[in-house]
Amino acid sequence: MIGSIEVRSLSRSFHTTVRRPGFTGALRSLVNPERAVKHAVSDISFDVAPGELLALLGPNGAGKSTTIKMLTGILTPTSGEARVAGVVPYEDRERNARNIGAVFGQRTQLWWDLPVRESFAILRDIYEVPGAEHAARLKEFDDILELSSFWDTRVRHLSLGQRVRCDLAAALLHDPPVVFLDEPTIGMDVVVKEQVREFLRHQVEQRGRTVLLTTHDMTEVERLAERVVLVNHGRLVLDGTLDEIRRKYGSTWQVRATLADAHTDVVPPPGITLLRQEGPQVVFGPDGPDAPTVHQALKAVIERYEVTGIAIDEADLEDVMRAAYVHAGPGAEGA
Amino acid sequence: MNAVKIAWRVTRLNFRSQLEYRTEFLLMVAIGAIWQVSVIVFATVLLTRFTGMGGWDSSDVLLIPATRMLAHGLFVLVLGRMHGIGRFIQEGQIDVYLLRPMPVHRQVQLQYFPTNAIGDLTVATGLMAGALSRSHLDWNAGRVTYLVVCLVGGMLLEAALFTAVASASLRFPTADYWSRWLEELLGTFGSYPLNVLPKAVGGFLTFGIPLAFVAYFPAAVLTGHGHDTGVPYWLAAASPLIGVLAYLASRLLWRWSLNHYTGVNG
Repeated sequence: MIGSIEVRSLSRSFHTTVRRPGFTGALRSLVNPERAVKHAVSDISFDVAPGELLALLGPNGAGKSTTIKMLTGILTPTSGEARVAGVVPYEDRERNARNIGAVFGQRTQLWWDLPVRESFAILRDIYEVPGAEHAARLKEFDDILELSSFWDTRVRHLSLGQRVRCDLAAALLHDPPVVFLDEPTIGMDVVVKEQVREFLRHQVEQRGRTVLLTTHDMTEVERLAERVVLVNHGRLVLDGTLDEIRRKYGSTWQVRATLADAHTDVVPPPGITLLRQEGPQVVFGPDGPDAPTVHQALKAVIERYEVTGIAIDEADLEDVMRAAYVHAGPGAEGA
Repeated sequence: MNAVKIAWRVTRLNFRSQLEYRTEFLLMVAIGAIWQVSVIVFATVLLTRFTGMGGWDSSDVLLIPATRMLAHGLFVLVLGRMHGIGRFIQEGQIDVYLLRPMPVHRQVQLQYFPTNAIGDLTVATGLMAGALSRSHLDWNAGRVTYLVVCLVGGMLLEAALFTAVASASLRFPTADYWSRWLEELLGTFGSYPLNVLPKAVGGFLTFGIPLAFVAYFPAAVLTGHGHDTGVPYWLAAASPLIGVLAYLASRLLWRWSLNHYTGVNG
């Protein structure tokens, strides 16, 4: 289907040499290398619907980039199958390339020694985009990304933020239905990050593009993605909405209350535990899998005790993801 | 047609961008010429101190470095970006090329304009002009055509060798160091009639690294030494064909290696 991504039992393994410790170990490895198989991606399945923005998350080395490389046709999977806009990317690389746009935050697809606009013109010729269409699209991108102030500059002279904005435009100039973004805002300042997010929102909401995004920036995830796929050690450990993830891993709130009577005998409500008490200052937290939400806990504390002050600390998405990464260790089952 | 248009456009833009850095441009042209200094010294010594080498008249010998250098200059200009590809592989540039609907090999060739080729070709053209002016041969249409075909064959053979190393570099980027050794080897032994070298070395430079097919065999056929090369005459005469076949084989190897490309940085 145009604009969809279908991933079925996708796996990719690499053969590596086991490093033995010390100088003697290195010599032994040279003479008699011990080979090992590293499973970068193991049996991953998920779908992305047309017009959906999915965040593919995971710690470093989790298998995110390898997954994206298979979906963009750079790598051939060891087993499994993937279709991007109806095309098997690693079997028909050039056809797949016409259907996708991709930005790797660390690398540029622009010609290093040429002014950006010349790179855009070359890409227009490569993708055979009609001139009027190219000009209209460039104007649309310029309105949001403010490219015209530096698009006559050679790529080698651009700042990182300018370069990635140009890369984003370059990736979308041929109007691809599917876009892959591998850490697109890495190293950018907050202003440029927001500009890029606005651009991506526009591309998804107004242009209906399907976007698969990897990032370590949880603000970006909160602002852009409704659905998240979490991978760790090459395995898919969770596929769900942000709310589902918060429910599963985000119960790390704290309710801080100042009791009117410092000698109150504190017996917490069900599902809530007393974390600390120092005089009238008490701190409650969730207790067990059936713990209430922070708002329910707040209500329960106010109803049970006479308080003169109360505050809540809710775990932000970064805390939630940290908890998810910790839970999703080797061999974790899919959610 | 669109492919030719794109290639021409990118080449033109790359060349223009190099021209804008004047000093860098001139330095690159100069290095292309200076790199060939050993060949120029060889030619000068040959013409001023010796009457011949290995049974060849010195004017005939001069045709060997002239052919090799011109073939090499054409290689650097047209297909030379395979040389030194390891850095681009390590920087992940191949990943970027795989994202575009265009053959990766073509994108590699279009990545920059080889300004040093101007120096290479200037020296090579001068050397060829000198070799032809000193030659006692009758340069009829057939001989000239064969020389031109041999230059193309030599260019393709050199391209085949570097493409083979580049294919290995796709898997092992450090294999690219071999391309430096290869360039050194071609530069060092490419100017001599190989019959002056020990048989084992000559054999290696014929059947191991087929350097003999770049300039030695073509020059031997052109100057009438084709029966004294140690290989059948037809094989020496078929040097351009060997170049074409070797190049086609190297492109198949490149394609196979690209299909087994495992990327960098995970």
